Amino acid sequence: MTSLQTDGRVADGRLLTVEDLRTTFATERGPVCAVDGVSLTLDRGQALGIVGESGSGKTVLSRSIMGLLPSTARREGNIWFGDQDLLGPNAPDMSRLWGREMSMVFQNPMVSLNPVMRIGEQIAEPLRIHLGMSRRDAKATAIRLLRDVRIPEPDRRVDQYPHELSGGMRQRVMIAIALACGPTLLFADEPTTALDVTVQAQILELIAEQRAERNMSVVLVTHDLGVVAGHTDVIAVMYGGRLVEIAPTKVLFSQMRMPYTEALLQSIPRLDQKSHTRLNAIPGRPPDLHDPPRGCAFAPRCAFVRDRCREEAPPLATAENPDHKFACWYPVGSPEYHETKERISAGLEIGSTS
Amino acid sequence: MNYWVQRLTASLMLLLAVSMLTFAAMNLLGDPLFNILGPAAADTKPESLEKVAAAKELYYLDRPLPERYVRWLGDMVTGDFGVQFGSTGQPPVSELVKERFPRSLTLLVMAQLLAAMIAIPWALISAARANKPADRISTVNSFLLIAMPNFALAVILKYVFGIKLGWFPLTFKATDPWLTRVYQTFLPALTIALPAAAVYQRLLRTDLITTLQEDFILMARSKGVGRRRVLFKHALRPSLFSFITVFGINTGTLIGGSLIVENIFRIPGLGSAIVEAILREDFPVVLAIVMIITTAFVLVNVLVDAVYTLIDPRVRR
Amino acid sequence: MSDTINRRLGPLFWIAVGWLVLISLLALLAPWLPIKDPDAYYLVRGERPPYAPSATHWFGTDQDARDMFARTIFGARVSLVIGFVAIAFGMLVGGTTGVVAGYLRGRTDRIVSFVFIVFLSFPSLVLAILITALLDRGLVTIALTLGVLAVAPVGRLARATTLSFAEREFVTAARAIGAGDRRIIIRELLPNVVIPMGALALLGMAVAIVAEGGLAFLGLSVEKGPTWGKLILIGAGSRELEKSPWIAFGPIIILFITVLSLNYAGDRVRSYFDVREIGL
Repeated sequence: MTSLQTDGRVADGRLLTVEDLRTTFATERGPVCAVDGVSLTLDRGQALGIVGESGSGKTVLSRSIMGLLPSTARREGNIWFGDQDLLGPNAPDMSRLWGREMSMVFQNPMVSLNPVMRIGEQIAEPLRIHLGMSRRDAKATAIRLLRDVRIPEPDRRVDQYPHELSGGMRQRVMIAIALACGPTLLFADEPTTALDVTVQAQILELIAEQRAERNMSVVLVTHDLGVVAGHTDVIAVMYGGRLVEIAPTKVLFSQMRMPYTEALLQSIPRLDQKSHTRLNAIPGRPPDLHDPPRGCAFAPRCAFVRDRCREEAPPLATAENPDHKFACWYPVGSPEYHETKERISAGLEIGSTS
Repeated sequence: MNYWVQRLTASLMLLLAVSMLTFAAMNLLGDPLFNILGPAAADTKPESLEKVAAAKELYYLDRPLPERYVRWLGDMVTGDFGVQFGSTGQPPVSELVKERFPRSLTLLVMAQLLAAMIAIPWALISAARANKPADRISTVNSFLLIAMPNFALAVILKYVFGIKLGWFPLTFKATDPWLTRVYQTFLPALTIALPAAAVYQRLLRTDLITTLQEDFILMARSKGVGRRRVLFKHALRPSLFSFITVFGINTGTLIGGSLIVENIFRIPGLGSAIVEAILREDFPVVLAIVMIITTAFVLVNVLVDAVYTLIDPRVRR
Repeated sequence: MSDTINRRLGPLFWIAVGWLVLISLLALLAPWLPIKDPDAYYLVRGERPPYAPSATHWFGTDQDARDMFARTIFGARVSLVIGFVAIAFGMLVGGTTGVVAGYLRGRTDRIVSFVFIVFLSFPSLVLAILITALLDRGLVTIALTLGVLAVAPVGRLARATTLSFAEREFVTAARAIGAGDRRIIIRELLPNVVIPMGALALLGMAVAIVAEGGLAFLGLSVEKGPTWGKLILIGAGSRELEKSPWIAFGPIIILFITVLSLNYAGDRVRSYFDVREIGL
């Protein structure tokens, strides 16, 4: 196993603390707030899942933490990585951290690898830049990394070009590149979306395996609850740029509070349903971030919405479990929730006034 | 392999067609005898009559047209370009060509090299600062350079650098050593290179900007690769395709422009040879040079294709 | 500048058009304008020509004391006419052939395309040199020669545009209601092809004017009368440039502004209509 450690790294315990992160983009139609006051923490070796629909801000969030944003973006808040504030006045040069301390695996391996550069070269690049390896050593390490990510015949593959590999293998190469310098934090942005179902499981397994071996923290960004179910310790649910619920995985699935989370779960088709059962899609569309709603972002689409939801944005409240936070005025399990549920069962109109 | 055979056959057919067109121009536009000999054709002086007889034989003028063409083509291919009737002693045209060709080639090669050397850094800087003031100014500059006719640019450069600043000499001697000749060729090469560089730069800049928006660039950054390295190592190579294609194809266009530049700067190359020949009404020379230049042009395009396949591994067969 | 697709033609566009109209009017009305005679010798006793620019001679005079301003205006007549005729011919012949070839496809297309490619295989001026060297050097000959050279590039664009349009639904629809080939070409395809051709016309005219200049520098331009190319040539000798640069630079400036205006206008038209194209 290839593992590389240096001093000054957080060996255990709290690795990442995000405090009230806000990311705004300057666009032609005015500023857009894609991440609106998100706070979360991550320990060494922990896996965090960030779930949401497209447009929820989940990708922007992961890129904001990493700092991989275009020049039109502005970030506010604090991001503590180890003992450094990445947004503070003494913020380090991110190029030094990228690839070394934190890496990202991107969604579509077909377009994320340089088509005219050999695989080996692309893996060797961070090794040579960050660790000052010689060309020969870097190539040898690259072959070892390819073996770690279970690519057969790594010494042959190392000289090939991306288009000579299958989609699944390309994603493994991406992972190898991300792991090359032994980072403590790995971001995986929809790592399986562009892949076949059979390959998806293998990739997730690979990430989990590497995480265990390296005691590496993982942030898994996806729209697919199935992906996060088996591979994360904590799940954060994003909607409209805001964090609407965050909890340890088991707790989230069994004791969810936010109706959005419930709706997400219910929209997953299940094997034990009869065939041709109508899918429970959530009606409506995500909010337009150019003109964000005043109250709860989910209000226009929520089956349990009441007036207060439209007027005031609910703050993050803590549930019984202290690690479980959610933002909802009338969460799952509250009296109002049950009231509405009965009315729905009785076939009355959705969305009440009170 | 198949692909190359196809390509070469197509090029050969093209060259044949080109030769037919040129031949037709010579023989069908006006009286061929006149075209070859100039005013001497109508002369009744004994030397002229001799020339007429010689011409008729050399150019098979008494034979039917198709046969004439085939024989002419055969001669051309074996390097017999006929004879310079307009000059004393009637030296073979091939001698003139051998003498003049290297200068034209030097000019062209220098021009393209200069153009690439100017265009690539220019494009990299523009793309890195896209849409910022420096980039906008450079876009205006490109536009102006492209609009400027090459003879006008030649006159301007000649005035500024040759006369006012006196950096470059304006006369050429055939006996000058090789290095001096290269130095003398610099200003004319620059005249040709500047507008070409503007075209290349525009194209390369656009492609660079597009490439820079690709995902693999972001991925490279996420590995910790610095901005400059990303530009040179990751963005440049995939962006070069259009540039290289245009670079190759443009060689032909530059050939046309170099004809004029040679005359303005008085470089003894093929371009000035054509003009002198026209003044002397020595049309076989004109014809021969036209064929040579056009053949070179077609061959260059085939070469460009070859280079293209080498650069892009995806296209390799 | 065509990188940014602007929804409006922009103020600079109208300035360019304004210049083109101005220079065309000046050229057209030249014989009746209150300017000096382009062929007369305005010798001043005791002073040898060429005379520098002054209040009497705005662009100065050449070595024979002819007024450069008048000569430039009269040169515009020839240069602009050549440019216009050349591109008009090219558009007419090349445009029609290209559209027909693009529409009919098959054998016609293969033959026409081959002819285009052969013509395009000649480096730019070389074919013009060949033809003008062999024929006379009248205005009509030169203009038509350049016109013939314009046929291939224009035709190629016309064909490509037609090909892309012929696939579209409105053509299939027209055919479905029984419209014949000729009707389809004229009513459906031509109006759409005209737009990119309009841009090409402006750019092509610039090319033709510059080509004339190039031919002049090779001694192959029109025999009689001043053209911009010939005027610049006269002023481009080393001795002239040193002592009297205005001879060349007067016409150079006018030529450059005209060509620049044509290029810019053509570019803007292309940009402007590109947007509509995408909107389709």
